[in-house]
This record gives sequence, C-alpha cells and structure tokens, in this order.
Amino acid sequence: MEKQKGSASISTLSIVQMNDVSASYDSKDYVLKNIRLSIPRGANYAIVGQSGSGKSTLLKLINGMMHPSNGKVLVDYKVPNTSDRKFKPFMHKIGYIPQNLGLIKNSTVLENILIGALPRVNGFNSFFKNFPDSEIKNAKKILKQVGLQGKAERKVYMLSGGEKRRVAIARALVQKPEIILADEIVSELDHMTAREIMDVLAEAQSTMNLTAIMVHHDLQLALEYADRVAVIKEGEKILEIGVEADRIVDFQTGNYTQKEILEMFNTESKE
Amino acid sequence: MSANVDADPRDFVEGLPNIGIMLQDITEVDSSLFVTAFWSMLETIEMAFIGTVVGVAIALPLSLLAARNLNHKFVYVPVRALLAAIRTFPSILWAILFVIIVGLGPFAGVLAITMYTVGFIAKLQYEAIEAIDADPMDAVGAIGVSKLQLIRFVVLPESASHLLSQILYIFDYNIRQTSILGLVGAGGIGFYIINYIKFFEYGKAAVFMLVVLVTVLIIDWVSVRIRDKYIIKSQRGMQVKS
Repeated sequence: MEKQKGSASISTLSIVQMNDVSASYDSKDYVLKNIRLSIPRGANYAIVGQSGSGKSTLLKLINGMMHPSNGKVLVDYKVPNTSDRKFKPFMHKIGYIPQNLGLIKNSTVLENILIGALPRVNGFNSFFKNFPDSEIKNAKKILKQVGLQGKAERKVYMLSGGEKRRVAIARALVQKPEIILADEIVSELDHMTAREIMDVLAEAQSTMNLTAIMVHHDLQLALEYADRVAVIKEGEKILEIGVEADRIVDFQTGNYTQKEILEMFNTESKE
Repeated sequence: MSANVDADPRDFVEGLPNIGIMLQDITEVDSSLFVTAFWSMLETIEMAFIGTVVGVAIALPLSLLAARNLNHKFVYVPVRALLAAIRTFPSILWAILFVIIVGLGPFAGVLAITMYTVGFIAKLQYEAIEAIDADPMDAVGAIGVSKLQLIRFVVLPESASHLLSQILYIFDYNIRQTSILGLVGAGGIGFYIINYIKFFEYGKAAVFMLVVLVTVLIIDWVSVRIRDKYIIKSQRGMQVKS
C-alpha cells in the first residue's frame, strides 16, 4: 500500500512545546521524565513506545487533562488545563481520541459526532438536540469524508471496530480542530483495517491542515505515516526520528544509523 | 426455639386449615364484589403510577447532584445526606405522616409512594451514574462542553437503560406497597382488605387479595416483556467487542 504522508504545510513554529516535563500520578513514580518536545504546526507526529512507557500521559498533558509535576507544557502558547476557564475556549480546537474511543454506545452515529459541535451550540438548543442546519450539514459531510455515509442513524454498539474508530475520528473533525490527538487508535485492528483508518486520518490531516499527534506501539506503522517519530522508553524520550528520502534519520543526536535504530527497537520489542 | 418472638411451628401447622376456610368463604362471596375489587385495584395502580412518575421526576435531578463524578463535595455530600434521610422511612411510615398532614385518602398514599420512590431511585441512579465508563466522560469533557451538555449527551444516554430497568422495578414494587397503604388509611385496595379482616369477613378479604395477586403477576409479565425489548437488547449490543 502506498503510504499517505501528511502533506499539510509544516511551519517552523511549534504548536506544542514541552520543556523538561515530568509527570506522575502519585507524586512518587514518574511516568514521564524530562521530556523535551517541539512539535511543528501542521506536522504529522507520532509517539511510539511500549505499554506503560507514558505515551498516553503525554497526550493528556497536551490536552490539559493532566498537569506536569515539573517543567512546562505550552499548546499554541497557552498552558493546557481543562479545569481552567481561560483554556476552555481553546479546548474544542483539540480533538482527542482516547484509546477506548469514548463513544456513547447507545446513541446514533450522528448524535455522537455532533457532540464535536456542542461548544458552538447554545445550551438550550443543545439540550433538546436542536442543532443548526449548518452543523448537521457539516457533520454529514464529515461522515462522508470518513467513509460512514448511510450510517448516520445507526447505533454505535452495532458498528464494527473499524467503523467505531471512524466515528471517533469524525467527532474530532466536527470540532474543527487545530490539533488531533489519537491514542493507539489502530492497535487492536487487523493490518488492512488499521491502514484504512490511518489513511482516513492522514487525508484529513493534510486537507484540513491539522497537526496530528498520534500514539502507536508499532514503529513501522508510525514511520510509514508520520513526519517525525518520538520513541519513548520508560518515560524518557530516547530518540526522535523520521524518514527522509527513504532513510531513517535521527533528528535528536544524529548519532545513530538506520540499522542501529531498527536494531534498538527490535531488541526493545523483545524485552 | 425463640421464646421472645413466640415462634412455634406447631401453631403454624395447626392453623394451616384456616386457609381452607378462607378459600371456602370466597365461593360464598357475591360476584359483584369482584367489580368493587377491580375498581379499587385500579385506584391503587393509579396511585402507584402517579407516585412513581412524580418520584422519578424528583429523583433524577437529585441523582445528578448526588453523583461524585459530576459535582463538588459541597454539593453531593448534603444531597446524599438528604436522600439517606428520606430512605430511613419505609413507605408505610411516610403514609402515616402524610395522613396526619393531608388527611385520610389516596393523596396521602401518593405522597408516601413519591417519597419512597425518590429515596430509592435517586440512590440507584447516582450509583449508575458513578459507574458510567470514564472514557466517554473524559473524551467529551475534553472538548470543552458545558456540564449540562455533558449530562444530556453522555450521562443520560449512558445510564438510560439502568434507569428504565429501575423504573420498571420500582413501579412493580410500588403497586405492592400501595396495596397495603390502605391499612393506615392512605387509600387504595388495602383499605378494603383491612376492613373486611376487622369484621372477620375473610372471604371478601381473600377476593381483594386475589385481585392484588393477579394484578402483580400481570404487571410482572408486562415489565419482563418491556425489559426484554428495550434493555436486554441494548446491553447485548454493548457487549459486542470491537
């Protein structure tokens, strides 16, 4: 399959900045240690690591669901914090797809994706599920874009795993986001379906000019789609690599060759 | 053998033939009494229905305020305390209280059923809300929606099947409860039963009890059907793994 790298214009200005960020859940064991990241606006960025390496925490630091114990996170020059009123207007610009997708199983596909439009609809109308025509039209357009046309009225629990992921992507896109965060969105899917989903995301990322930050545990897949891949091991960023002219390049130190990088990752996977 | 409660199996065995007398009495009852029993049962169902509907309507907002995953401690602690206080009274004590306040009759019964329903449904519902999967709450919360929108689009749909199941159960239960509220003068079929028993007209009392039995069986059958249609299906759907 031909790889669909995001072709959104990458800016030299970064949209996400992390300076020596550490994070912990119980103030004892750090799940992330001294992370330095600079994610350019419009990039297709991947974070790869094994279970428990702190990848999901990294995404929660970006959308403000978690706060760093040390260091500073900046998203579009703001400190992300979901309980901060000042950050609230920016929250809908971050489309977050958690690992278990967070869909409402007993609601229809359309109801689920219209949730992405809620910050633009006033409380009274939304309580009666009374969405403006323009929002419904936009939602249906996005349904078509992710390949779910004709399934708007289907209940989510009736969908397949791949279709559920498309709903989650559509909900994030309806937000009209600037950043998409996806946590292991394809890890439980078969090879074919995983690539279909990645293609949908890559296309949206390039046509809608988004910054995509995706967590994977498959380095191969990450390298195939992302401009840049940060490899996290036991809470620390050990590598930042990308593919340039079909060669893997180590952006962080420039010390490793392609062969060494692949070897490193392979031994890691076997651990 | 407990001397305190005077429980003696011999009394039970010796008294058993009395049921026979009661059943024999039924055959001697005038058939028009069944019509009276039917109408008083209908009044009972009506009382249970109104009490359930009003009780659920009050319980639902209270359960939203009592859920720990939706509110600050300063909100849910007092609301939970209030609900706990409401639950300490069984419906018959509420009925006595309301008979004193509003006088004899079905209205006192409706109020008693309402109070019981509020205490019961609000507790089960806030527990159901707290058991909602954290993922949809997090994912939708991270979009920056208002709390009301979160309730409307996540909490209500995710807890709806629990609520329906609980409403069916409490309605069924309320019909049985309402049947005895007449004992304290709070209306319904129990009023007839207690009066016939007082005047040793066991046959007539048995007719009314029979009507209660048949009604509860019918309601039970209907609620099983509704449960099958709306609840089991969606829960089965939830189990479909990706």
